[in-house]
Amino acid sequence: MSQEIAHWLDNLLEEIEGIEIRRKSSRRVRVDVPADALPALLELLQGRAGYIHLSAISCVDWIDDEEFELVYHVWSYENHSLVSAHIRIAREPGVYLSVYDLYQPAAFFERDIHEMYGIHFEGSPNMGKFILTEWDGPPPMRKEFDSEAYINEHLSWQEYNPPWLQALIAEGGGVVIPPEEQRFSRKKS
Amino acid sequence: MSSINQIPVIEAKRGNPLSKVFDELVRFCRSRSLFILHYCTGCGAIELPPAMTSRFDMERLGIQPMVSPRQADILLITGYVSIKTLKRVILTYEQMGSPKYVIGICSCTVNGGMYWQSYATAKKLDEYMPVDLYIAGCMPRPEAVIAGLQQLMNRIQSGEANSWEDYFRNYDYYLGNQQKLFGDNWQTPTDIITEAKHYNLMGEGTFGEHTRLLEQHQKPLEALDMRLGHNLKEPTE
Ligand code: SF4
Repeated sequence: MSQEIAHWLDNLLEEIEGIEIRRKSSRRVRVDVPADALPALLELLQGRAGYIHLSAISCVDWIDDEEFELVYHVWSYENHSLVSAHIRIAREPGVYLSVYDLYQPAAFFERDIHEMYGIHFEGSPNMGKFILTEWDGPPPMRKEFDSEAYINEHLSWQEYNPPWLQALIAEGGGVVIPPEEQRFSRKKS
Repeated sequence: MSSINQIPVIEAKRGNPLSKVFDELVRFCRSRSLFILHYCTGCGAIELPPAMTSRFDMERLGIQPMVSPRQADILLITGYVSIKTLKRVILTYEQMGSPKYVIGICSCTVNGGMYWQSYATAKKLDEYMPVDLYIAGCMPRPEAVIAGLQQLMNRIQSGEANSWEDYFRNYDYYLGNQQKLFGDNWQTPTDIITEAKHYNLMGEGTFGEHTRLLEQHQKPLEALDMRLGHNLKEPTE
């Protein structure tokens, strides 16, 4: 039965141009679409396949590609399956369309992403501050934001070096800080 | 009597030879009846329900939860304090009646813990208010919490736990750190300086450049605007 639904879903998705479908498991499908085809895809999924629940919109900052990746996770209560639609948008100016008219919960997710990454969603009902109401720095989840430099500037530390920690360090353990080259905020542009 | 300055303070003369004994008795009683205001800022709060309820039962030590800051003795900060929360914590602390004690549970209150790299959390709680005791661990077990509370009781009984006076005596230092984080306009609804004068707790560090800055900006006291989402649009139907 679920095989049948999966097959039918694949056929449905092929109606969209430039789409790439990867079936991760019987209940998970990853779809890569061009950014301008996403609203059509979501409309199709919602209207014809029962994917009525938008569980989340997630965002990834691919700073080296100068792109943001947005992932729309939609769930169907009938097929019991999750479709994750991935799109890439340019990092500058970082503007995309809101899907609020299709899925109302998108308003929250978009507002959150706007706050954390600075992406502007056209047509979203509210792009005001959400959780960081008392924050006026740059969007903190962008990779170029150097959190460590920020805290070194604004906050201070106290010495904490108990004997057990010294013993650990002597054995080559202790706190591990990733090497400079793995830290995006440390890369010189 | 409209101003706090008009309330007469009677300087107590301590001529009675029994006053030391009496002090000791007061401290003993004080340490046996502690009401904690648990400000559950972080994940460490999850260890408090078992510490309070039948399994570990803090009440056998005379420690009970209390719901309002004005009636509590201990402010228990249970975990990371985000900068937004820190403002509320300071307001709460200032409203508690003296003597008051602060316990920082969790490594996050000591040095940021696992959020050391986060832009959103304050690292050292004792920069913003005097802390009597830290209980480190991520998160400390109820046994550790109770051991810490017992230590505090001993310190109260022996008269060592008076760091709350430090907030009045060194208000300039604490205010300076608060201003550094919250901006120069930072002001709480509690007038610490007047209180310090009133209770005779002025110290060398009560006044300083930061309190002068506060006096420049000081607005007549009224409730702070702490609504969430102040730029929320009015819902349109
Ligand atoms: S020390 Fe650990 S348990 Fe405690 S608040 Fe921090 S992360 Fe949570």
